[in-house]
Amino acid sequence: MRDKAAPYASPYVTGVGIGVVLLLAFVLMGRGLGASGAFSSVVAAALNTTAPSHAAANAFYTGYLSDGATNPLKDWLVLEIIGVVIGGLASGLLAGRMRWTTERGTGITDRRRLVNAFAGGTAMGVGAKLARGCTSGLGLTGGATLSVGSWLFIIAAFVGAYAAAPLLRRAWR
Amino acid sequence: MMAPLYEFGRFGDGMGLVIAVLLGIAFGWFLEQGGMGNARKLAGQFYFTDLSVLKLMFSAIVTAMLGLFWLSWAGLLDLSRVYVPETFIAPQLVGGLVFGVGFATGGLCPGTSCVAAATGRKDGLALIAGMFAGVFVFGEAFPAIGHFADSTARGAWTLPQAVGLSYGTVVGVIVAVALGAFAGAEWLERRAERPARRMKIAA
Amino acid sequence: MTTDARRRPGIERAFAIAAVVGGVLAIIAGSPTRPTRGSVDVTELARIVEHEEDHVTATELAKWIRDDKRGLRVLDIRADSEFEDFHVPGATRVPLAEIARMSLDSAGTYVLYSEGGTHAAQGWFLLRARGVKNVFFLRGGLYEWLEQVMNPHVASTTPQAVRDSIRAITLWFGGKMTVVDSATTATPSALDGELSAPHRSDARESIRKIRRRAC
Repeated sequence: MRDKAAPYASPYVTGVGIGVVLLLAFVLMGRGLGASGAFSSVVAAALNTTAPSHAAANAFYTGYLSDGATNPLKDWLVLEIIGVVIGGLASGLLAGRMRWTTERGTGITDRRRLVNAFAGGTAMGVGAKLARGCTSGLGLTGGATLSVGSWLFIIAAFVGAYAAAPLLRRAWR
Repeated sequence: MMAPLYEFGRFGDGMGLVIAVLLGIAFGWFLEQGGMGNARKLAGQFYFTDLSVLKLMFSAIVTAMLGLFWLSWAGLLDLSRVYVPETFIAPQLVGGLVFGVGFATGGLCPGTSCVAAATGRKDGLALIAGMFAGVFVFGEAFPAIGHFADSTARGAWTLPQAVGLSYGTVVGVIVAVALGAFAGAEWLERRAERPARRMKIAA
Repeated sequence: MTTDARRRPGIERAFAIAAVVGGVLAIIAGSPTRPTRGSVDVTELARIVEHEEDHVTATELAKWIRDDKRGLRVLDIRADSEFEDFHVPGATRVPLAEIARMSLDSAGTYVLYSEGGTHAAQGWFLLRARGVKNVFFLRGGLYEWLEQVMNPHVASTTPQAVRDSIRAITLWFGGKMTVVDSATTATPSALDGELSAPHRSDARESIRKIRRRAC
């Protein structure tokens, strides 16, 4: 463990690294990577435990459950995300980049930043479910497989982000 | 054709889940290495100061895309058995816009928020909580908007099919666009650094 | 913020060059699938055909299906809608074009059938060219199946044991056996792959009857 944070690696090199991981997923499993699906599985499972009749009556939630038990294929994403946490932790530890803090611009407070993060997460949760994926599931996986809808999603996402960015300048400065 | 291995019954579901974890670990590792767990760095993308998001994503897409093409060409991978995310034109355009706004606001995406949280970032945790809330909101609204969410479906529609060019041509064009984007990104970042350098010289 | 990233100009340039090469070659290649080349030992194939080792009868296929023969893969070469109407139990629909590209089970036993038998025979040849050894086809096609398994007409002079065996198979598949007086001309078997017109309408009638019963 280092006491001084190491510089980040080249985005091109890490990008190619992720591309190889993505390709391995295709070669081994016939599917790509993802993220937002894992969140849906957790929400559906949680509801199934606390309010099973409500979950069962909703086609969206039942899509993430299967005969009461969680569909193993949907579990795949949950396990992948667990891996992401482990991998991120390992990398952060070894590079000395572990910090119990809030990343924000100087223009806002910690509290405001956390509110923004929650709000952003909510919007992304809705957007990802509408689109059936996020930057990992559609951007990376769909991008590599040349899926039309995925490329439309990526473009729309960047448009949305660049449109909102001027309003958030102070938050990130 | 021996790949995708799982599709050809080379191993079972259990091993598949082990692979999920291992691939996830590698994914998370690279994301953190590239600084994608740092919301401030990520947000730089939207102010043209730090275009790592573009460089990383596009590099990954091009790598996997070329890998798929050539493994298939070599007869090692059955492309028809590789999952292509389905197209839903309207929901993905609208969902993309909403997602993008959230991305700029939150500074992280679902995958990178886990990396951020793993390295102790509270904003990563807050964003994860937000994701759960968003999924729940969508789930509750589903009976009402489900019809829209399932509209304009086109199935596993690919760019070659849509534009009428060969698969290889589309691949080549995307590589060209990516390299052009990288050149543009380098130029934009140098431009963003220039005022700082000018100030250093003046001082 | 970008200054805090380690740059690797050498590796990055190598990746860029690899991408350019990969992309340009992809444009030239066009399609990510190469044509599959096959080779045939013509003498060997001729011998197999002559010894009638290239096909099975519908009855033999029925027994294989009933006895759950390991690795059995029944392929239906007909059009989509026809498959929906009726197909041999356990069969998968594979158009001829797919035969050229589909992944193969080296331990499998392939049996192909089409409506008459011509397309199935062509599919047989394609699979043999691809190196598959255990491949057969129904010479009389689906009509033979209907005739021998689903709706056999058995002469009353046929030995009881044979009649029982045929009936057992027919019943297993939900068909109906009819015993006919030996004085009546028995339905000629579809040995040449194409039933004559009146028998073809018999086959269609059989399918209709089966569908009705299945409701």
